[in-house]
Amino acid sequence: MFVLFPFLALLFTADPALPRKPQKSFENIGTQADTARTSDHLDDAITLYSEGVRLRPSWSAGWWWLGSLLYEQDRFSESQAALQHFVAIARDPAPAYAFLGLCEYEMQDYDQAQHHFQLWARKGWPGTADLIDVAAFHWALLLTRKGRFLEALFLLATEAGKLHNSPALAEAMGLASLRMANLPEDYPPERREMVWLAGEAALNASLPSKEFDRADDYLRRLTLHYGQKPNVHYFRGTIFTFERKNEEAKAEFQAELQISPGNVPALLELARMDMDSNELSEAASLAKRATEIAPNDADAHHMMGRVLLATDQFQESARELEIAEQLAPDSATIRSHLALAYRRLGRTEEAKRETAAFLSLKEKEEVMAPPQEKTAVPKQAGPPK
Amino acid sequence: MRIATVALLGVSLAVPPPQDTSGQRAFGAVQGKTGAASTAASRFEQLSQAANLARTQDRDEDAIQLYRQALDLQPGWKEGLWYLSTLLYEKEHYADARDVLRRFVAHDSDKGPGWALLGLSEFQTREYSRALDHLRRAMALGMGGRKDMAQSVFYFVAVLLTRFEQYSDSMSMMLAMIKSGQQPDLLVEPVGLAALRMPLLPAEIPPDRRDTIRMAGQGALALEAEHRDEAEKIFSNMVAAYPNEPGVHFLYGAFLLDLRPDDGIREMKRELEVSPFQVPARLRLAEEYLKEEKFDEALSLAQQAVKLELKDAPAHMMLGEVLIAKGDLAGGIQELETAEKEAPQTVRTRWDLLRAYTTAGRKDDAQREKEEIEKLNAPGGGQ
Repeated sequence: MFVLFPFLALLFTADPALPRKPQKSFENIGTQADTARTSDHLDDAITLYSEGVRLRPSWSAGWWWLGSLLYEQDRFSESQAALQHFVAIARDPAPAYAFLGLCEYEMQDYDQAQHHFQLWARKGWPGTADLIDVAAFHWALLLTRKGRFLEALFLLATEAGKLHNSPALAEAMGLASLRMANLPEDYPPERREMVWLAGEAALNASLPSKEFDRADDYLRRLTLHYGQKPNVHYFRGTIFTFERKNEEAKAEFQAELQISPGNVPALLELARMDMDSNELSEAASLAKRATEIAPNDADAHHMMGRVLLATDQFQESARELEIAEQLAPDSATIRSHLALAYRRLGRTEEAKRETAAFLSLKEKEEVMAPPQEKTAVPKQAGPPK
Repeated sequence: MRIATVALLGVSLAVPPPQDTSGQRAFGAVQGKTGAASTAASRFEQLSQAANLARTQDRDEDAIQLYRQALDLQPGWKEGLWYLSTLLYEKEHYADARDVLRRFVAHDSDKGPGWALLGLSEFQTREYSRALDHLRRAMALGMGGRKDMAQSVFYFVAVLLTRFEQYSDSMSMMLAMIKSGQQPDLLVEPVGLAALRMPLLPAEIPPDRRDTIRMAGQGALALEAEHRDEAEKIFSNMVAAYPNEPGVHFLYGAFLLDLRPDDGIREMKRELEVSPFQVPARLRLAEEYLKEEKFDEALSLAQQAVKLELKDAPAHMMLGEVLIAKGDLAGGIQELETAEKEAPQTVRTRWDLLRAYTTAGRKDDAQREKEEIEKLNAPGGGQ
C-alpha cells in the first residue's frame, strides 16, 4: 500500500518551523540531524534525532522528524511512540494524527487508527496532498472493515479522481462495493477475482470522465461468473442508478432479492425508487419488510419514516424516525426528516431542536467531504508548531 | 502459495547472515569500559553464544527466546536479527519475522538477502505492494550467490507483477526464468494468469477458473518451448471450451498471426467482441494490418488503443509507426516520443525514432537514439 503513495518524499521538501535550540551541543545535533535527513542519510538522521530528543524532550520538531523517518522505514511502533511525544507537546499536532492513524493501521490497532483519522479530519485534513491521499485511503479501508461502505466509497471515489488506474484503489473499492467488511489483507483469496471485477467497475464509474461503458463491461463479467453471490446484483444496480438506467437498476435489485431475500440495502433501494415514482404503497411494503428483517437498521426505519411522511401519517412517521435517530444519532438527514414530521404535527419546539441538530450535524458530516474543498490549510509538510 | 514458498525457499534460509558480526564487536568495544557495561557485555556474550548453540542444535524455540533476549541488550546486533528472523520465518511467524527484518534492513540496507526475506515475509502477510517493492530491491542488490533464494525472489516478483497488472513484465520474467533452468511446471498457472491478463495470484484462482488458466499457461509454455503443434492443440481446445472468456481468443490469435494471418485476424476480432476494451488485441491487429499495408484499418485500431489507454507506451508506439507509414512523419514522431517517455527502455521505439529522425534530417536526435540503443543492447542495459 505504501508504495502507492510516496508521500514521504514530499515531507523532505518542507521548510519546518524548527524551534530554536539554545544549547550548543543540542544545536549541533539538530543541525546534523537536519543535514542527514535532507541528504537522505536516514539511519544517521534517526540516530541524531533520537539523541536530540533525549537531550531536549521538548524539541517537538525532533519528535516529528523522528516519527516521520521511522515511518518511512516501516518501523511503525517506534514511529508511533515518537509521534505520541510530538502530539503531547506540539501546539498544533493535527497532521500527526494522520501519521498516528497510519502507524496504528499497520500495527493492527484499528479502533485507535480510526479514532486518529477522525480526529485528523475534524482538524481540517492538514498535511501534504500525498499525506491526505494515503490517510484518506487507509481511513476508507477501516470504514469498509466497520461496514460503513458508503462513507468508504465516498472517500475512495475522491481518490479515484486523482489516482485513476490504481490496482490498490480498485481492490479497496471492490471490497466496499460488495459490502465485504474486510481489509485487503484479510479477505478470502478465492474472492479476489470477484473483488477485482467489482473494483474496476466502481473505479471506472467514479472517474471524472465517468467511464460507464467500461464499468458495464466489468459488471457483465462480474455477474457472468459471480451472479449467484450476495451483493453482486445489488452493486450492479447501484452503478446502473448512477448511470440513470433506472429500469435496469430495478431489475438488478430484484435479482438480488431472489438470491438474498433479506438484503436490506436492495429492499431500501427499491423502496426509494418506488417513492421516487410515487408508488407509495409498494414503497411502504418494502420498507416495512426491511424494518422487520433488520430492526436495528437505522436506514430501514429512516425509509419507513419517509414513506409514512409522504403518506401524511405524521405520528407514525415521527415514531419511525425517532427509532432511526436513536440508532444513528449522527445522521443529519434523519434529523432533517424528523424535524419535518414534528413540524407537520405542530410540535414546533421539537422541530426547531431537530433542525438545529441537522445543521450542526451537516457541518460535522462534511468532515468526509473532499479535503481540498474543506480546508485552506497550507499544503506544507514540515512539523506543525 | 505456502507450498510454493516452501518448495522455492528450500534450504536457502539455513545459511549465515549476509553480514558480519560487527554489531557484536562494536557493542563490546563501546560497552567494555565500565563495570556495569562490562557485565552487560558479558551477559550479551553468553546469550548470543547460547542462541547460536540452540540454533545449531535445532532447538528453535530456545534459540528464538535467546536471540530476543540478546537483542534486548544489543538491538543492532545484525547476526542476531538475521537468525531470529529466519527462525521466525521457518516457524511461519511471518509478521514477527517481518518486524525483525525491518530492523535488520534499517541497519543494513545494501544486502539483497535481507530485503528478499523481508519481501517474502510481507508476501505471506499479504502486504503485496511492500513485498513487490522489497523483492525488487533485493533483485537489484543481488542475492550474493544464493541461487535458491534468487529463484524464490524472481518467482514472487513475477506473480506479484501480474497481480499489479504488469503482465508483460511478469511474462518476460517468467520466460527468462525458464531459459535459466526453472522447472516450467511451477509456472503453468502464473504464466496462464499473465497470458489471460488476470491480476490474481495462483492461490487466488477460483476453482472453476483453474482449468482455463492452466490451459492458457500450458499453451504459452508449449509455444515458448517451440512445440507448435502442441501449443495449437491446447489453444484450439481452449477457445472451444471457453469461447466467451476474455483473453483466450487473443492468445490463440497471437499464435495464429504468425502461421495463418487470416485465422489470426479472425480470432483477434472475436476477442474484441468478448473484450471490447482490450488494448493488446487492437495493437496486434494494427500491426498485422500495417504489415499488409492496410493503413486505414491499422490507424483506426491504433487510435482506439491510445484513446483507451492514454499512457500505454505500446499503443503510442504503434500509432507512431502507422502514422509514419501513412506519410505523417511529424505526427508519427510525436507519438513515438510519447511512447519513449512512457517506456524509455523499449528498443523498438528507439529504432523507430532513429529511422524517423534520420528521414526528417534531425541528425543529432538520430545520433542520440543510436547511442541509447547501443546502451540498451549492452549486457544488462535494458530489455
